[in-house]
Formats: sequence, structure tokens, C-alpha cells
Amino acid sequence: MPPKLVVQGLSHHYPDEYTGEDVHALDNVSLDVDEGVFAAVVGPSGCGKTTLLNILAGLLPYSVGHVKVDGIDVTGPGPDRGVVFQEHAILPWRTVARNIGHGLEIQGMASEERKKKVQEFVELVNLTGFEDRYPHELSGGMKQRVALARTLCADPVIMLMDEPFAAVDAQTRITLQEELNRITMATKKTTLLITHNVDEAAFLGDKCFVFTRRPGKLKATILIDIPRDRRVWKDLLHDPQFIEKRDEILTLVREEVSPHGDD
Amino acid sequence: MNPVQSLSIAVQKLFGRQRLRRIILGSIPFIMLLSLWRMNTVNEWLPPVFIPPMASIIEAISILQDECTGIGGILTMNPGCLFTNHVLSSLGRVGLALILGLPFGIAFGVLAGMNRRVSNVLEPIGVFANAISGIAWVPLAIVWFGIGAMTTLFILLNTIFWLVFFNTLLGVRSVPSVLENSVLTLGGSRWNIITQVYFPGALPSIVTGIRMSMGFGWRALIAAEMIGGDSGLGFMIFVSASEYKIEEVFLGVIVIALIWMFTDRSILVPIEKWTVQRWGMVWRPS
Repeated sequence: MPPKLVVQGLSHHYPDEYTGEDVHALDNVSLDVDEGVFAAVVGPSGCGKTTLLNILAGLLPYSVGHVKVDGIDVTGPGPDRGVVFQEHAILPWRTVARNIGHGLEIQGMASEERKKKVQEFVELVNLTGFEDRYPHELSGGMKQRVALARTLCADPVIMLMDEPFAAVDAQTRITLQEELNRITMATKKTTLLITHNVDEAAFLGDKCFVFTRRPGKLKATILIDIPRDRRVWKDLLHDPQFIEKRDEILTLVREEVSPHGDD
Repeated sequence: MNPVQSLSIAVQKLFGRQRLRRIILGSIPFIMLLSLWRMNTVNEWLPPVFIPPMASIIEAISILQDECTGIGGILTMNPGCLFTNHVLSSLGRVGLALILGLPFGIAFGVLAGMNRRVSNVLEPIGVFANAISGIAWVPLAIVWFGIGAMTTLFILLNTIFWLVFFNTLLGVRSVPSVLENSVLTLGGSRWNIITQVYFPGALPSIVTGIRMSMGFGWRALIAAEMIGGDSGLGFMIFVSASEYKIEEVFLGVIVIALIWMFTDRSILVPIEKWTVQRWGMVWRPS
């Protein structure tokens, strides 16, 4: 079975918005993600993670290298790659149900069929009873559940996530990480998560790509062979295998962090 | 509980406590103005030539409408209905200008908001035109179109189009790009982005633009009617003043303000409530 996502020799430069200086964001990145795998890209801030996600999503044109999803070259945004953004990405003028069904609406699915499908995903992300609410009536965590359901409901080949839980509080984040694990396990969705949070990458990832600081290169690929149904924070915190993998990633990432903090 | 208390509670239940408080507070300045006006008439501080008694204004309506034959006459703009004809004439012109101006203002605003090149072309000329919109155009418009409907329509369109255009433009620019990106990654087309992201996202600004353009447009219309019109409330005020019919001037001025108040409160504010407030997109005083 060929991988769902293949990135080969991808490099990217762009002129800085203010100074005009050439920024070398990605350098010869190659990676692949097989069907049903949860992959995490982890690295220090400014390592080109977001640039990588934007290229994969088709929001940023690239010139050097290849990006293929299901064997097809990425040339622009498309419904085969669903994206869960950091925050504030669901439409404030649509109710929860209409946000979740938005992708299907664009695909032209008949209203009756769509409603059934939407209900299924409302239940999957535990938002039953909130179908007719508007986003401003929801908490930050609930908004991200809507964003997740919206992406999954459109049934993309691969789900891309850009630091989806960075803006929610610590308690909510833990719950959402466990739910994301349960949901991607249930839907068997191929996923690529971008994060700077080592715990998050180790907790969710079957495969973790560790990036160097800018220009972002693939530094190491760590495989985490913990069954998905065992991934609950309460248990993993004492699991020697998890602790070992997490420390390994942490060491790799810390080598890349500038001693002065953010650079 | 005495009858006064139970009556007070019944009234509060009927209108709602908050709303009642707002109505009472809001009417204080009006009551003060009306009292002053009444005191002036009683004490004869200023003669009726300057400030006519309230009763004479009601009287002025019946004199103007003397030869009018009922609702049918009002609606068909029978020449006998002197007062309502002027009201309908002004309202009709604003309505027509809105029907013509709003779609174009919104369409060009959305286009300029999403396309740098279009906005680079239209923005400078817009700033130029906006500065002279309203009554500065009146003398030229009279030369071009003569006295009458075309002149007033031109003035109105000039005011409405640019205000709606600019507000829509700013509204579209204020839509966060992550919303556009999220719909693009769901497979949305350009048209989906315009109708499902830009337009609703710009709606708070568009509604503000409509409110502003109607306010400014209404004022510009009255001014245009005074100088370059042949009917309408502005025309009526101007003619009445030159004939020293001060009560008709008062009537005209009050009706102009009442019509605007009614339009804003009963049409524009509810639109805002049902769209942008419901979506949590504007700040609401508590």
C-alpha cells in the first residue's frame, strides 16, 4: 500500500514581510505517512512547521521538491486535505451544525443525507444539544471540537492539524488530546499534527518527525509503538515506553532550542 | 399591594423592565424640549412668528391635506394631498436611490476588498468623490440635469454609493484570512468564499455603511430638494419659509427627524440584531 502523504526534497524560501530578507524556512525535507497513521511534526518555534503545513494544505505555493497526497501532486487547496487551524477558524455566522456540514454542503450533498451525517459527527465530538448554537456561545475547547468535526465530516484523505490545542487551557487540552486519539482511532483517519508540544506529539503520534531549527530539516523520525487504545494520560504518565520515547524527543528538540529562548 | 403598585408591575411586564427604563430615560430630553416649547407659547417669550404654538402645527397638516380624499388619495399622490405628497416624494427618492446604489456599492466594495488592484484603482477616486459628495454637487447637478428628480437622485446616489463602497471594502479587509483558508481547504470555490465568507464577514460594516448612507443621504436629499428640487420635504420647508408659513417649516423639520428615527429604529437596528448581533460580531452594551 503506497503512503497517503509523500513529501520529497521539499525546500522553501520566502522574503521576510518587513525586512525583505530571504528566509530559508525548509531545507530538503522528505517524509511520508501511511494510511491510518497518526504522524506528528514537532520542533522548536520558527522551524518551518507552519510553512510545511501551509504547503501541504495548498495555501502556499512551493517550487523545490514534491508533495503528493494519494499519489496526486498538490497544486492548491482541496477537499482531499482537511485542515484544523489553531483557533478562530469556524465561521461565526454559521451554527455548529452548519459549520460541521459546510464541507458536505460545498460538495453538493443533499440536505437530508447531510443532516444525518452531521448528526453522526456531532455525537462523535460530544456536542449533542449544541447543534443550533453559534460559535460565540461556545468555549474555546468546544469551538475546536466543531473545527475537528467539520474537517472529519468532509472525509478528507488526510487531516492536517496546525497546533489545534495551543490556545485552550491545560485541562481542556488534556481532554481534547484524549478525545482526538479516540476519534482518529474510531475513524482510522490518516493525520499529520503540527505541534511544538513534545508531550502532545508523543501522546498522539504513531510516528514523530523531529525538526531542526531554521532552516527546518528533518532531524529524526521516532516511531512510538503504543497501541492507540492504551493512550490515556493517567496510564501513559507511568508507562516506561512512553516516558522513554518522550524523553528521546525532548532531548532532540532541546538541542535545537536557542539558549536565548525564541529566536 | 395597592392599585398603583399592581399597575406598575403590569406595565413593566407588558414592555419589559429594561426596555421600559430605556424608553423613559430616552424621552427625558424630548419632554424637556416640549415643556420649554409649551412654556414659550404660554409666557410669550418669543412671538409665534418665530416659534409657533404646537396646535398650529397639527392644524397645518389638516390645512395642507384639506383637499385630500382619504388613504386612496394619499397613495395615488392626488394633487390635493399637499403634505403627504412631499413626504412620499422624499421617501420614494431615497428608496429608489437605495435600490440602485446599495447593490453596486456592496458589489464594488467586496471586489475592491478582495483585490488589491481593484482597490488601488477605486480608492483614490473614492476619497476624492467622498469629500465632495452631498450638497457640493448640487450646483453642478442643476446645470447638468435641471431642477427636479434627476438632480436629487444624482446627489443621493453619490452619497450612498461611496459610503457603502468604503464600509464594505473595510469590512471585507477585516475578515481574518484563516476563515477564507478554512473554506478553501474544505474545497470552497471563489464564489463560495465571496458569499459565505466575505459577505457575512463584512456584514457588520455593510450595515453600518447602510445606516450611515441613509443618514447622510436623507440629509443630502433635504438639502438638494431645497436648492434643486421641485417637490419633497426639503422643497416644502424652503417654500414655506419664503412665504413665512413658519408652522409648515416646523412640521417639515419634525417629520424629517421622525421619519429618520423610525427608519433607523424599526428597520436598520432590527437587521443588525438578527444578523451580526446573533453571530456575536458586535459589542453589545449590557
